[in-house]
Order: sequence, then C-alpha cells, then structure tokens
Amino acid sequence: MPLLEIDDLYTNIRLKQGEVKAVGGVSISINAGETVGLVGESGCGKTMTGMSIMRLLPASGYIASGKVKLDGRDLVAISEEEMRAVRGNDIGMIFQDPMTSLNPCLTIGSQIAEAVALHRKVKKAKAMERAIEVLNLVGMPKPQERINDYPHQLSGGLRQRVMIAMALSCEPKLLIADEPTTALDVTIQAQILELLDSLKDQLGMAMLLITHDMGVIAGRADRVVVMYAGKVVEQASTEEIFASTNHPYTEALLASIPKMDGSVARLYSIPGIPPDLSNPPTGCRFADRCRLASDQCRDNEPPLVTNDQNHSFACFHPVGIEANHVKITLKVEAEEIQRIEHADRKPLMVLEHVSKEFDITKGAILQRKAGTLKAVSDLSLTIYDGETIGIVGESGCGKSTTGSMMVALEKPTSGKVLFNGEDLFGHKPKELRLIRSNLQLMFQDPYASLDPRMSVGTIIREPLDINKIGTSQEREKKVISLLSEVGLSSRAVERYPHEFSGGQRQRIGLARALALNPKLIVADEPVSALDVSIRSQVLNLMKDLQRTHGLTYVVISHDLSVVRFLADRIGVMYLGKLVEIGTGYDIYENPAHPYTAALLSAVPEPEPEREKTKVRKIIKGELPSAINPPSGCRFRTRCERATDLCAKEEPPMTSFGALHQAACHFPLISKVEIRTGAAAF
Amino acid sequence: MIAFLVKRVGQSVIVLIGVSIIAFILEHLLPGGPAKAILGGRASPFQIAAFNHANGLDKPIWEQYFVYTGNLLHGNLGRSYKLNQTVNSVLATDLPKSIILVGSALILSLIIAIPVGIFQAVRRNGIYDYAATSVSFLLYSMPSFWLGIILILAFAVNLHIFPSEAPQGQTIGAIITNPRAMFLPVITLTLVSYASFTRYMRSSAIEALAQDWIRTAKAKGLSQRVILFKHMLRNALIPIATLVGLSLPSLITAGVVTESVFNFPGTGFRFINAANTEDYPLLLGIIIVIGVMTVVGNLLADITYAVLDPRVRYR
Amino acid sequence: MSKIDDLDEGLSGEGGDNNGIIGSNSGGEAHASGSQLKLIVQTFLENKLAIVGIALVIIAVLFCFVGPLFYHTNQVTTSYNITQAPGHGHPLGTDQNGYDVLGRLMVGGQSSLEIGFSVAIIATIIGVLYGAIAGFIGGVVDTIMMRVVDTLLSIPTLLLLIFLAAVFRPTLTLLIIVISAVSWLSPARLVRGEALTLRVRDYVKAVRVMGGGSRRIILRHIVPNAIGTIVVNATFQIADAILVMATLSYLGLGLPPPAANWGSMLSDGVNYVYDGYWWLIYPAGIAIILTVVAFNLIGDAIRDSLEVRLQKR
Repeated sequence: MPLLEIDDLYTNIRLKQGEVKAVGGVSISINAGETVGLVGESGCGKTMTGMSIMRLLPASGYIASGKVKLDGRDLVAISEEEMRAVRGNDIGMIFQDPMTSLNPCLTIGSQIAEAVALHRKVKKAKAMERAIEVLNLVGMPKPQERINDYPHQLSGGLRQRVMIAMALSCEPKLLIADEPTTALDVTIQAQILELLDSLKDQLGMAMLLITHDMGVIAGRADRVVVMYAGKVVEQASTEEIFASTNHPYTEALLASIPKMDGSVARLYSIPGIPPDLSNPPTGCRFADRCRLASDQCRDNEPPLVTNDQNHSFACFHPVGIEANHVKITLKVEAEEIQRIEHADRKPLMVLEHVSKEFDITKGAILQRKAGTLKAVSDLSLTIYDGETIGIVGESGCGKSTTGSMMVALEKPTSGKVLFNGEDLFGHKPKELRLIRSNLQLMFQDPYASLDPRMSVGTIIREPLDINKIGTSQEREKKVISLLSEVGLSSRAVERYPHEFSGGQRQRIGLARALALNPKLIVADEPVSALDVSIRSQVLNLMKDLQRTHGLTYVVISHDLSVVRFLADRIGVMYLGKLVEIGTGYDIYENPAHPYTAALLSAVPEPEPEREKTKVRKIIKGELPSAINPPSGCRFRTRCERATDLCAKEEPPMTSFGALHQAACHFPLISKVEIRTGAAAF
Repeated sequence: MIAFLVKRVGQSVIVLIGVSIIAFILEHLLPGGPAKAILGGRASPFQIAAFNHANGLDKPIWEQYFVYTGNLLHGNLGRSYKLNQTVNSVLATDLPKSIILVGSALILSLIIAIPVGIFQAVRRNGIYDYAATSVSFLLYSMPSFWLGIILILAFAVNLHIFPSEAPQGQTIGAIITNPRAMFLPVITLTLVSYASFTRYMRSSAIEALAQDWIRTAKAKGLSQRVILFKHMLRNALIPIATLVGLSLPSLITAGVVTESVFNFPGTGFRFINAANTEDYPLLLGIIIVIGVMTVVGNLLADITYAVLDPRVRYR
Repeated sequence: MSKIDDLDEGLSGEGGDNNGIIGSNSGGEAHASGSQLKLIVQTFLENKLAIVGIALVIIAVLFCFVGPLFYHTNQVTTSYNITQAPGHGHPLGTDQNGYDVLGRLMVGGQSSLEIGFSVAIIATIIGVLYGAIAGFIGGVVDTIMMRVVDTLLSIPTLLLLIFLAAVFRPTLTLLIIVISAVSWLSPARLVRGEALTLRVRDYVKAVRVMGGGSRRIILRHIVPNAIGTIVVNATFQIADAILVMATLSYLGLGLPPPAANWGSMLSDGVNYVYDGYWWLIYPAGIAIILTVVAFNLIGDAIRDSLEVRLQKR
C-alpha cells in the first residue's frame, strides 16, 4: 500500500464571481521512501495540490471532493484537531521563500522546539535539545550558538536550512517541498537539494517535490507527475518521462528549455496561454495550444491511461506512439557556424577599469561614512558590434550595477565607459541624451517596467516624443510597426499594461526599447519572471530582433542556460570582480576558474542520466560581504585550490585561448602563450 | 540598535530646536510684538521701548532667539501677568491632572482596542466585524465634544448615574479620589482614541495573519490559539507602539476638548481660558511644554518599538 | 489573471519564423478595453457604502445651498420666540435667539462645507508640492524639509489654531487659511513617501534611459501614479476640516455671530443641556456626523478600489 494516496482530488477557490477550479481530479500516489516530482507552470494547480494534502488552503479555498489517504487514513474526512496532529508530525512541509516563512519575532530555536514540544509531548528544555540536534543534522554551523538567533540574522540559505530542520524535527513520513530552492542562488540551491536528498535517505521518508524546474526534477525525483491546468497529464518514472515522453505538453515543455551545451539555436515555444480555470474547456485542456490537437481533443476529455511500463498519460494522440506524429525537431547549429569572427568587428563599448562603490552611511545629522560597498571592482571589458555578451553570477556579484553603468544610469566611481570611443560620462547632459538613445535597457519585472497609467501606444511613443523624432503621424506609424515586429496586434495601442500577460508586457518593453533604433540593449534578467513556455517565445524574439536590427546585446542573468542560448561570449562575475570570460564553449565545456566550474556543476539540468552521474563540486559556505571583501582573490574563502598566495596576491587576468581569459593563480586548465599575429589562426 | 538610538535621538533634538523656533516665531507674530502682548494693550510707546531694551528685544533677531532658548533651557517659561503667577507654577498644578486623564484614557482604550481589533481580524467580514467597524467608524466621525455632551445627556441629565462635571479641586488628590466624577471624561476620551486604535489594530492583525510564517506555523500543527497569541500578537503589536507615539498630538487635542466639556481643571481647560483672556505668555508656555512632551513621547514610542522588534534590536 | 490575457501569446514554434501580427481573438470582453480609471470607477461604484457616501454628500450640498431657496427663514434679526420646541412653523424649533433651527442648519452648513472643501484643496496643493519636491530631490533637502514637517506635527494642531484664533480676529477667509496652514502636513508626508517609492520604479528608470528629464518624470509618471493617494487624502481632509472647524466654534474661537456654522450652533446649544432642549443639540451634531461619515466612506471606498487595481496586476 502506498504511503500517500491522492484519489480524484478536486479543490476550488471561491472568487467574487464564480470559482477557480484549481485542482480538477488529481490522483497521485507516493510510496514510502520515494521522491515524487510534481512539475508544471504557475497556475497549474501543483501548489494547491500540496496545500490540499496539508489542508492548508487559503480561506477562500476548499476541497470539493476526493480522498487524500495517508497510511490508509483519509485526511479529508478527519476533524481539524486530528489534522493538526498530522501536520508537522506525519507530514512536514517547506515553502518557497525562506525570507518570509519564518516568524521574525521568535528565535529559530523556539520555532523549531515548539513543533517538537507539541507533537512529542516533551518539556521545553528537551525540545530545545532536539532543535540543536536537527539543526546539526541540516548542516547549520555551530547550532548551539545559533539557536537563539532571530531569522533576520541568517542568510537565505541558512534560513532554508532552519525551515528544513523545522519540518524534519518530528521525523515525518512525508515531506512536501514546495519550490524549496526557487528563491535561492544556484550554488545554495545545490547545497539545499543535496541536503534534502541525503536527509531523505537517512530518515527513510518520502518526498513530494513541487517545482517548475525540470532540471531539479531530473536529478532528484524517482517518479515525475506533470500537471497542466489543474489536471495530471503525464506520469512515469523519471528516466521514462525524459526518454520517451508521450504527452505533447511535456514534450513541448522540455523542448522550450535552452540547453546548457548550447546545441539548440532556436527553442520551441508553445503558442497561447493556459485556459481560464474558472471556466475550463470541456475537452483536453491543452488542446488549444497543442500542435497535434484534433476535433476529438476539443470535444472529449482524454482519460489518463497507464501502459505496461507504468507510464500514464492523458492524450488521444500521444507523441512517439502513433507513427504519423513525429517528435518536435529543433534546429541545431554547429558551434563553429555561430562563432563570430571578432577580428572583423569593431569595439562598440569599452569598459576600462570600471569600479562602482556605494557609501554606507550612519547617523542622522552628520551622515558619517560607515563603509563602502564595493559593488563592482576594476572591471575591464570590450563589447564588439553585433555580438551578444552574457554576464552571469549570483545575486550581489555586481552584474546589475555593471549593466546600469553601461546605459549611463549609474556613474562609475572610477574608470571609463567608452561608447564608440567616446567617454559616456565626459559629456554635458544634453549631449549625453543624444548618445543615450543608442543604449537601451530591457527590464526584469514586466509589471514594474511599464507605467500602469499609460496606454501601450503612449508607452511606446514616449521615447519618440522625448527625443522629438518625426511628426505625429510618423510616430503613430512607427508604434504600429514596432508592435507588429514584437508580435502584437495594432489593437494593443489603445490598451493598458494590466490587460496583458507577463510575456506580452516583456514584448511591449522590447518595442519601447527598439523605438530609438539603439545599438546596444542591456537586458537585465529578461525572462526570469516568466514561465518556461512563455520564456522561449521571448528568447526567440530577442534573437530574431538582433538579426533584423543588427543589435548588440548584453544579457545579464543568473540563469546559465538562458545566457548560453543567447550569448556569443560570456563573462562570469564573483563579488564585484570579473573572474572569467570566454566563448560559450570556453566557459561551459572548458572552464579555467574554479568558481566557473563550481557554478556550472551546481546548475540542475533536465537530463536525468547526466544529473545522476554528475560529480558535483558543491561550493561550501556563503557569499562573503561586499563591504569587506576577502583580500587577494575574492573567491579564495570558498575555493578548494586556495593557498596563501591567493590571500596575498590578486590574480591577474591571463589568457587561455583567443577569446578566453580568467583570473586565477591555480586554473583548471593550462595557460596558453598568445603571440601577436599568430592568434588569428 | 545603538546606531538606531543615536539617529533617533538626533532627530528628536532637531525637532525640539524646531519647536523652540516655532514658539519664538509665534511670539513675534503677536500684534505689537512680545512687549505689547506682555504689557497689555494700553502700554505706552515709551513703556514698550523700555521693556524692549530691558529684555533685549532691540537686539538682532538671532541674538533674541538665543536669549529666548537660553531661558527655555533654564526651564523659565515666563510669567502670566493675567494670573500673576509664573507659567511654571500654573503648569505644576495643572499638568499632572491632565496626564492622569489622558494617561488613563490611553491605557483603557488600548485594553479595549487590542482584543477587539484582533477579534475583528480573525472573524473578518463577519457580522461582528461589520458591527464593530461601524461603531468605530461612527466614533471616528464624531466631534469629541459632541460625544461628551451626548454622554452627559444620557448619564448625567437623564439617568443621574454620573455627575456631569469633572472633579473640581486644585490637587491631584481631589481628582483621583472622585472616580465617579472622573468616569465620563475618561470614557469620552477613551472612546475617541479607541476608534482609531481599533481600526489600526484590525488592519495590523490582518496584515500579520496574511504573512507566510503564519502558514509555516499552521504547517507545524499548532493550534489557532497558539498561532494567534504566540506568533501573530507580537508582530501585530509592534507597530502599535509607533501608533501610540504618533497619535499623541490628536490625543492631547481630544484631551483639551474633553477638559473644556467637563470643566476638568487641567492644562487644556487652562489653555482655552488663556485663549479667551488673551493670556499669551501662558498660551505659549503650554504650547512649548506640550510640544516637548510630544517629541519625547514619540521618541519613547520608537525606542519601545526597537526593543520589541528583534530586527531593529539586533542589527 | 488569465481572464484579461486575451491577446494571443504565441509565436509559432517550429522553424521559428515570426508570424508577425497575431490578431486578438475574441475572449475577455469584460475587460477588453478601457483604462485603469474605468476599472477603478467600476470597482468604486460596486461598493454600496461609497454610493451611500456620495448620496449623503449630494444631499448635504442640496440641503445647504438649494434648501434656503425653498425654505425661507429669517436668519438675520433675532425674535422673542426663543427656544420654541419643534412644531408648527418651525419643524426643528427655534434657538436661543429665536432663529429657526432648520433654516439655521442650512446656513450653518454652507460655511462648514465651504471651509471643508477650501481647506482640502489648499492643503492638498501645498502638501503635494512640498512632498513631491522633498521626495524627488531626496538627500539633505529631503531631510531638512521632513524635519520641518515633524516639528509642526509635534505641536497639536488644535493648540496652534486656538493660539492663532486668539491672536487674530477670525474671518471666514482667515480661518480657511489658518486651518489649511496646519492641514498640509499629512498630504506632504504621504506624497513624499509615494515619490520616494515611485522614483525608483523601473518605468521611471526607463524614462531616464530614453533621455527624459525630471520634469517629465514628475508630471507624466509620478503625479499620475500618486493621484489616487492624493484624492483619498483630500477626501479625509474635508472631513477633518469640518470637525476642526466645529471644534473651534464650540470652544468659542470660531466666527463671531451672527455668522453660523454647525459647530457654533452646538456651542450655543450646550448651555441648554439641562433644559431638555434636544433640538439644539441633536440636529447640528447629526448633520456634522453624517457629513463627516459621508466623506470618510467615500475616501475609504476610493482607497479600496485603488487597492483592487493593485491586486489585478
């Protein structure tokens, strides 16, 4: 008998008018000791399924029908008091955002101990002992001392460890982890996932891993359940679902993720958007966006059928089974074709020893300087006309500040930013304005980057108005043509941003950025706020526009696969420093800097074989403070190869290939001597 | 924490200097200047010139200001010629009584408003919530003097339960030994401040209840009672400390009005009388003292906030 | 969210050529067009209490300004027919000077409403400018400007008003100026806060990148986005000004007779509390409460509908 058996679960959420049918007949079973991955895009009902198990639905939500059996006992039917004895005791849960999921007014020790005291009926002191024990278990350094800390005194990674300790304190049989690493940086994500995996084995518990990230699933789950629009569409063992996908949605989802090996030049994108669940369609819910859909799909709902490999799917035209339904083929371009002949290109923007420091002040009257935050330190970089440069790094590495300096939003503390050979900051404000029209910014948050009080037409026309380009009619025309270029109808002109989805807003932002015919666009996390299927649409569009407009991109992202997809050359930043730069191949296949290598191995990839066999180089510890960065090489505090030399001397940038440079005393590959003249060969 | 305290005290000092400047400006706004105000309307130009010279009022304006603040710093608030008393001695008898009135109303209103606000938040959009919201809305929209009059009509004139006038007498003893007569003024002031506290408490509690860590607490299996009183209450109460500080000016305003409705022998009542008799030195003295008390009260509230909130305490 | 996502999202996937314009397919008629303002107005009108508030304000304005045209009373000369109980000829009786209470309620309401509206407008304009400048410039200027506000806030406004009213002989204009002078502080604080948050928004950054100047940012982006908060506050200001005026009059520091307002009517009526002349106390008090309640209801409703807008994001 499975440990947890969800049987035909329906969960609804009441709205002012009508109801959202968030979960529409889901059946999942989890065996003891098993990890089941629940994947899907936002709004597919995966979180609501998790919350239904715990009966922790929002006030307007309720379980309409179905059973949730834990060890044979139906949790839907028991009283609230009985349910309380299950929560935290038989089932533990961890949530997405560790920054907001802990009570700021109570010490972490007391927050863990209260669950122990409640379920194990022990005294406070005894519960505290147990709290220290589990904190030790989750790898909290010096738990004895940390027990009386408040949440805000800990970093995000440590807080998530506290959350895990809390969920595991009573050794539950099942752990529900709802996007446990989405809010964390890649290296911390790897630490937490590794921890969850090993704890699961130690305690012999089962885990329901809810996530949108196929990579996380590939490496950690035994079985995968894919949800779409409140329904389970496919379910199989992890190997099976990646190797022989049957449902077109799963297939499309996998095809829309950029690959880390850079083998895909163009992503698949699912047309349309998910259906409105307050009024779900009668047939297959994916039919409207499916490339294989027939009338049968629109009229009838396909049942979930299971084949002999214990692989179930709900589709009339499964991929790879009916002979006439070929798989999606993606255009693959060889690395060599894409390679840019840099010798022919002229530099568009040059950053010369650029640093940016922010003063930290104290005191109300005197504003004494208490320290400086070294956001970017001595960064030199040349951007060639027509190329795409990617900048990767974890939060706080200074990549966004670098981007702001490139578009003249921030003035460097020292160093120069040259555009077409002219210093950006050596101009009068009026002249700077003229130059600025060449430099545009694409924002991360599609909700914050468009003024909600302006119509889309006004928003796109604003740059033309400001720079007094063309007559009124010409501007109107330009707006329409820009809209069509980004794939939106001219009817959008009259509408307001709130009427558009995230992906559409990102297109509107792109249209606005293109209005002035810029040379360089700095895209700061252009797709990280978007769902996977929407993401690929925007990424493809960015590539198309680069070709038609001859754009140069600087793509800033924490997501290494996105950067790999877009960029010709990639720079890796750590704590304000550029530590390595090179082509996609150099960085991803042949990294020289230990940080680059560790960062890459931390990224979960949607390939089970690779994920399960991968030798992980997990970076220990947390990012040091940028107010007081370590001496010498800034990465040395977390580096396996570090010696005394690394603390004493800052490593200089050295070459490892024509376009490949890194700053490390003990690089992973050998340096090459480049003789001038011969390099081009 | 120390950085926060230094910053906050620094701000208060600046605001205190600001208060002294305002008082100084007000004094010079008086028709005929400070001299005429103090000597009275019938003073001759010669008398005024002599007074100005004797008090340094013929010196440059900034020098006058320093003399003025010097006096304030020595605790010298001037002299009421109408009452023939120093302002200090007038305040010494009146102020403690007003503090008792306003203080007890403040405490009482918090005792009522906090549980009611929490109850409303937990049962929000229910029938009791709507009822309580309506009551506070009505109280909030009511002139405080009218509320006092209605209470007098109901409890003093019609029911004869409580006297319509506050206890009369110069000493504090006379005030606190007559709780029956204190009842109506305290209740009036309590209801006025209850209205704004309970609205705030309700939204503060609703905000706290919507936080992610409440969900975490539920996921641990804690009971509603523990979640409310251990987890939510503390977080919801912290902003109340600041609110109490910020509402001091309006509380004092309501106090002045209440004192005048019930003839309560306190500073507010004295202030109104001084206004009607054009006793400017007394008016200014009271304004300065109340200004200083508000600033200090605000500072104390913010320090309480810092002590209660670990995010400020351990920074 | 999905309801309003009616434009087709997709580009074709395979082969990946941009299909160009993708027409909007029908769906989502309810939100198909219309500005945010429409949405806000719509939510506002769905709020029944808001309708009550607006109705009350309209009734109050009609009662005070149109009422006297139909209900003629002598509000200039006193008569011997004093403190007459409600009855024939005087629906709400007469007061201690023999004026008809109903008629006096109309005349008195005029000055109460005039003061309320004027103060709200003046205080809002001053406060918005002050707060926007402080918030947008920031730094030392902001610190100094806000300490000035802190200072003025630390002296209870009523005390300042009483002092000023004692120094200067009150007239209607003077009272409006003086009450405005102490009422601009809260809009100033609010707008400053809004400006501080709005000026770091991405869309403001976008204007900078396009080469737009501060003037455009303030006038085209910050003010339109802060307008909701400003309007809400202005509504509450009307209510507050009416209360303050009533209180000043009650304390005997309002407009000298024969000018009347609801507060001064109460002030006179209080002397007759023990005589059971309820018509001197209830009508004016209820008039004040209803008017203040009405403006508070409207303010609350506007604030709620603005929040709904945020939720729809």
